[in-house]
Amino acid sequence: MSLLTLEDIDAYYGESHILRDLSMAVEDGEVCALLGRNGAGKTTTLRSIVGAKPPTVRNGTITFDGTGVTGRDSEDVSMGGISLVPEERRIFSDLTVAENLHLADVARNRSNTIGRSVSVERSGMSTEEVFDFFPRLEERDSQKAGTLSGGEQQMLAIGRALKQNTQLLMLDEPYEGLAPQIIEAVENAIERISDSGTTLLLVEQNAVAAIGIADRCYVIDQGEIVFEGEAEELREDDETRERYLGV
Amino acid sequence: MSLLTETARVLLNGLQTGAIYVLLAMGLSIILGTLKFVNFAHGALYLLGLYAGILISQSTDFSQGQLAEYGLGTLGLDWGFLAALLLVPFIVFVLGIAMERFVARPFYDRPDTDQILFTFGLAIVVQQVVRILFGGNSVNFTQPGWASGAVALPLVGGFPQWRLWVIGITTLLVAIVYALIEFTDFGLVVRAGTQDAEMVQLLGIRITRPYIAVFGIGAALAGVAGVVGGPLSVVNPTVGTDILVPAFITVVIGGLGSVRGAVVGGLLLGITESFLIQWSLVIPSLGIDYGFAPWSQVGIYAIAAIILLVRPQGLFGSEVDVS
Repeated sequence: MSLLTLEDIDAYYGESHILRDLSMAVEDGEVCALLGRNGAGKTTTLRSIVGAKPPTVRNGTITFDGTGVTGRDSEDVSMGGISLVPEERRIFSDLTVAENLHLADVARNRSNTIGRSVSVERSGMSTEEVFDFFPRLEERDSQKAGTLSGGEQQMLAIGRALKQNTQLLMLDEPYEGLAPQIIEAVENAIERISDSGTTLLLVEQNAVAAIGIADRCYVIDQGEIVFEGEAEELREDDETRERYLGV
Repeated sequence: MSLLTETARVLLNGLQTGAIYVLLAMGLSIILGTLKFVNFAHGALYLLGLYAGILISQSTDFSQGQLAEYGLGTLGLDWGFLAALLLVPFIVFVLGIAMERFVARPFYDRPDTDQILFTFGLAIVVQQVVRILFGGNSVNFTQPGWASGAVALPLVGGFPQWRLWVIGITTLLVAIVYALIEFTDFGLVVRAGTQDAEMVQLLGIRITRPYIAVFGIGAALAGVAGVVGGPLSVVNPTVGTDILVPAFITVVIGGLGSVRGAVVGGLLLGITESFLIQWSLVIPSLGIDYGFAPWSQVGIYAIAAIILLVRPQGLFGSEVDVS
């Protein structure tokens, strides 16, 4: 059984129909890439999965780890094991690096979990483990997150997600706006996360980078899945790549 | 009186006036910063705190109100001021929680204008209900016996003791709120939520919980302002809406969501007001003796205008995306 399944999803922003009858699945342990042009519906797909509003999911079901999560509050979906590293990273720039990371611990406080049907048994990385993973963050520990470089902010956003109880890590355009050598470092981090057994869903405009790292790919265009298959197949399929990804 | 003594005195008076603004603005500012809820009924919480304080601490003649017709012309538990000071924050805290649930929550996703219209309407309803029950005339909120009279201060000379208590109580509450916001997990969530509430939720945190507490604490502070400020001002049903304007100006000057901003903004307004009330321009040779007291309210708007021209986000506010 797949770790994450989307079946016949229709999602709307107000009255505009963004995702059309979208179905896809992410298998346990794999790196899955969702590719498409700007505005194709990639971020909307991720927002639908985590229960962020908007969009509104009107039809279809989303199942994670055997449990239906369609329409659930994003704080519950997150506690269930799906972490998102969002577009533009969205770190808390007025808080220090340590405070940003500590927020993921706060989610397991009793005041937050009491009376909710969420599990706090499994936990993600400790702050020390995140610092082992990204030593740069430890150096910048007490610095305001807003003063970090783009690459460091991306590391912080990923580190914050790893501290959650993460079974599925979703990364929305993790390379956007980063310098080439930084991209390499982030790529390297993503590979190490994957090697540690965490399932990844990678959303990218940059098809070349994603194909290099992914096991399987989906291509989305105008809210519909237009290609599904092994990364290798997409590499060979010039027509699909040119038509939907422009490469 | 020397100029120095006079200045110190005016400063202390300004600190006391400002302290009331600080108490109101802290709650207003945190609620606005976190929940993005514009609460024009915040002054009503001050009004309710004030009347609850009077009813708990003393026995008062309310013979002009409707209650008098039912033989309840004289009302009050007469438990003393300290009882009011301790109980009112809890009462108004509960009122604040109820307000969050039934007034604010249905309006979170609505435009600011809807929030303003609805809460301002609510403030007027509360004001009129108080007027109907207790009458529209001004009543006297007696200063606590243990803090009445004057104390001799170095430099300043005799100064009303209760005004010093107001400054002291406010300082203590500011310290508590500051510590809560800066050094606790609760405060961390509140600060993060001010910046990006959705991201806080994406980390698994049910943000509505701390937000309810924020509303309750903000309300309790407004209630305390009513109790400590009551004995120093006129008490009638319109004081709630009257104090709303300086409270909002304080928030705007200080910057949304900033405790530091509320403190600096409140004191700046209080001191400006106090100086304008006390000072006059006297040039005997030209026969000029002009008091600035009528300009005291203009002064606070002028300060707000100047600060907003130079720093639209307020003294301690961060630039926010208004879209």
